[in-house]
Amino acid sequence: MVNYETVVGLEVHMQINTKSKVFCECSTQFGAEPNINTCVICTSQPGAIPILNKKAVEAIVKTGLALDFNINKQCTFARKQYFYPDVPKNYQITQSEPPLCSRGKLTISVGGKEKVVNITRIHLEEDAGKLVHEIGSRKLGYSLLDLNRASVGLMELVTEPELSSPEETLEFLTELKNIVGYLGTSECSMEEGKMRCDVNVSIRPVGQKELGARVEIKNMNSLSGIRDAITYEVERQKEVLESNGKLVQETRLWEAEEGVTKSMRSKEGALDYRYFPEPDLVPFDLPDSFIEELRKQIPELPKARKARFIKDYGLSEYDADYLTSTRTIADYYEGALNYSKDKKVLAKPLSNWISTELSAKLNAAKVCISESPVSSQNLAKLVSLILNGTISGKIAKTVFEEMYEKSSDPETIVKEKELSQISDETVITKMCEESIAESPKAVAEFRSGKERAVDAIVGLVMKRSKGQANPQIVNRILLEKLKV
Amino acid sequence: MIGAKDIKTKICLGEIRSVDTVKDHFKRIKKTDPKVKAFLRLSEENALNQAEQIDNKDRKNAKCGLLEGVPIAIKDNIMVKGEGMTSASKYLEHYISTYDATVIEKLKEAGAIFIGRTNMDEFAMGGSTESSAYQKTANPWNIEYIPGGSSGGSAAAVSAGMVPFALGSDTGGSIRQPAGFCGIVGYKPSYGLISRYGVCALASSFDQVGTFSKTVVDSALLTSVIAGKDYRDPVCEPKEGIDYVRDIDNPNILKTLRVGIPKQLLDYKTDAEITKYFNDATNKLKLEGVEIIEIDIPAYRYVPALYKVIMCAEVSANIATFDGIRYGYRSPNGRSLNDEYAKSRAESLGYEVKKRILFGTYVLGAKNYHRCYHQAQKVRTLLINQITAAYKKCDFIFTPATLQMPVKFGDILPEECDLFLIAANLAGLPGITVPCSFTSSCMPMGVHFMGSRFSDAKLFQVANAFEKISEFDTDKYPIL
Repeated sequence: MVNYETVVGLEVHMQINTKSKVFCECSTQFGAEPNINTCVICTSQPGAIPILNKKAVEAIVKTGLALDFNINKQCTFARKQYFYPDVPKNYQITQSEPPLCSRGKLTISVGGKEKVVNITRIHLEEDAGKLVHEIGSRKLGYSLLDLNRASVGLMELVTEPELSSPEETLEFLTELKNIVGYLGTSECSMEEGKMRCDVNVSIRPVGQKELGARVEIKNMNSLSGIRDAITYEVERQKEVLESNGKLVQETRLWEAEEGVTKSMRSKEGALDYRYFPEPDLVPFDLPDSFIEELRKQIPELPKARKARFIKDYGLSEYDADYLTSTRTIADYYEGALNYSKDKKVLAKPLSNWISTELSAKLNAAKVCISESPVSSQNLAKLVSLILNGTISGKIAKTVFEEMYEKSSDPETIVKEKELSQISDETVITKMCEESIAESPKAVAEFRSGKERAVDAIVGLVMKRSKGQANPQIVNRILLEKLKV
Repeated sequence: MIGAKDIKTKICLGEIRSVDTVKDHFKRIKKTDPKVKAFLRLSEENALNQAEQIDNKDRKNAKCGLLEGVPIAIKDNIMVKGEGMTSASKYLEHYISTYDATVIEKLKEAGAIFIGRTNMDEFAMGGSTESSAYQKTANPWNIEYIPGGSSGGSAAAVSAGMVPFALGSDTGGSIRQPAGFCGIVGYKPSYGLISRYGVCALASSFDQVGTFSKTVVDSALLTSVIAGKDYRDPVCEPKEGIDYVRDIDNPNILKTLRVGIPKQLLDYKTDAEITKYFNDATNKLKLEGVEIIEIDIPAYRYVPALYKVIMCAEVSANIATFDGIRYGYRSPNGRSLNDEYAKSRAESLGYEVKKRILFGTYVLGAKNYHRCYHQAQKVRTLLINQITAAYKKCDFIFTPATLQMPVKFGDILPEECDLFLIAANLAGLPGITVPCSFTSSCMPMGVHFMGSRFSDAKLFQVANAFEKISEFDTDKYPIL
């Protein structure tokens, strides 16, 4: 039996994070009322002419610089022609040759192994509008056209066919999303359609140099869908080859509900886009100063930040991974650390609070950490209160609840509710003595050798102190008293 | 009849009223346009209201616009907010503009009065105004003949004295050719001098708005108003506030001028009288001290072919937006999306438009792109290089406006008739047609000066100087 290897290449479309569209002044706001964000340019009225949004070019060059691309100084545009109602001009303004960025790379790690994936190009183009064929579950007998998204800027990134499994593909996309998120050049939200993917899949016998017939799966918009589609497609292609069939270059669509890909068009049916240079946008050269200015704006990227977190804060690989998984989490974390004098002491407990309590709350409420009701300063204060023994970890959870609800300061809460921990030994001794007196049964059990019976008495003391007694001191004093 | 510049001055001085001027012109329109059919739509009521507002201004204190109270006609491919804009196509029969073109904004600011919209070839595709979906416009000098095109309506309206001046658009001679046929001045600016924003695109890399008038000075005046930078047209150069009228009377301009005549002129069959009167015009220039130089631009011979390839390619993309989906004609017979596209276009676009779409689609096809479109762009560069080299020897290139006289309706002009005009579009250069003589058929003919890029101010000076020595009577109007 022949062993096959999987070859995957990606075309990733990411919506560029700019306030206005790429060729007009309309807003890019997501979820607006249909056709509100439109003008004579993006609805293609007679006489309208595109105007290039400088910020969109900046976003692409910045992304290219972060991914080790060569930046092509000559900026040119082309018309890609095809008829479809969501493309009002019936051509899309895009870049042909040269794209803004050529030959970049991204390093991914799968199963502990690092791999450099080469990226062919990144170019600038405009998005299409949206056709609506149904409202809810009701199929319409007609189609509605919403042009809010028409002419929103897109960056299209094309990789070399170098990914060799669904895992690598997902890792590439996750890493790409992360970097682009750090740069702020795209929000990359697949749910909002701000990141979409065409996935090229082929297989070939292990050792063969030539690529097999390529199948392009169009318009994927979820990571799990991409994983399932590649897995399905690889199996399908193997079956075809093993039953002595022949694979053809074609475009297929992923039917998520059925879990299969279906043929859309073959190579013969491929469209001739009749590209030609866009006469309305004259080619121009990007000044070196423009590119250098953008280079300066590139922030510390996730890999470097993770390494620094491990080195400077003594975090584990696992914790550092989580904290640098998005720029907002990392910024929040470092923001909190900045409020502490001894960062190394605060580092680990703060990391735990963010990855457990805070993220659970935020996820449940679908709130981004940058909009967290608990500010990074207040979370740092809370952890400090635990570390200096003012409150117990248990009380801290109660305080945190209140902080989250009311966006308030932990010190104030502790003060107002008199929640600070009781560490005064005379007070605790008194409470211990009273509790021992009330628990003859537990005392007898303890003295007959059942050491765990002390827990019941600890519970009683904590109840008596409304949870504020320092549990370590309570434990120590109780044991002293009982062992006498 | 007086010209635009004098009308404006008299209105600003309070010597005449704009309302009377507008009424006079409508009187002339009502008398002559039933024969000429230059206008697709008139807006008399609006024009009179506008004129009245201007007359009601306190003349002592009011600022006087550059075109205060002067009537103007607009080619029907330019957007005027709230007005129809058909581009003489059935497709846009009921289309209403939602915004003002930049040139319209500027005209409004200058106080111009919009009289009506002029006929044209459908989407400006043609050289006779016969491809209009609505009507055929006649040459006012002989109504059995074509006025030329595509801006035939504007040319005929100015020629017949219905308006002192008019706007047109020129992609491949569409202003200068009908101006030549109708015996008036027609000017196409350097590419990028006047904003294209709001002008229905034909071939984006050639399109320019330009002017028609009886005299050179009125074209210069109109250009002073509508030219200038516009961020809404990325090809528009950052030149602003140039007054093309101020220095137009340069008494010494001809004394040191070097004018080049391409020897390629001899390669084409030219009307005998055109040759004769062109030679007369050349001699008049010589007498004024102009140095006449023979120049050699072999690439002229490729002009018709490369113009057709590039223009049609751009047309095929520009016209694609007229698909029946968002506005314009939608066929009631469509059975599927593609069927609706096909029928909406088939039922509403004319023969010439379809022909150019097909040809443009062909030359951009993957199999033909390099052989046709790309090759044409290379030849275009060759032409530009040869013209640039010629300008080292001369200041302006001088040719007849057209190589043939206008034909009767239905007759076809030879392809190379306006070759020397199209070269200006291909190279982005300014060109102006100035009338020079009447031929034995009692129809006028003109000459064409083409300058280097952004030599527009000097071009007006030269054209103005030629107008003065040409002995052509600019006060003469056709009898209608």
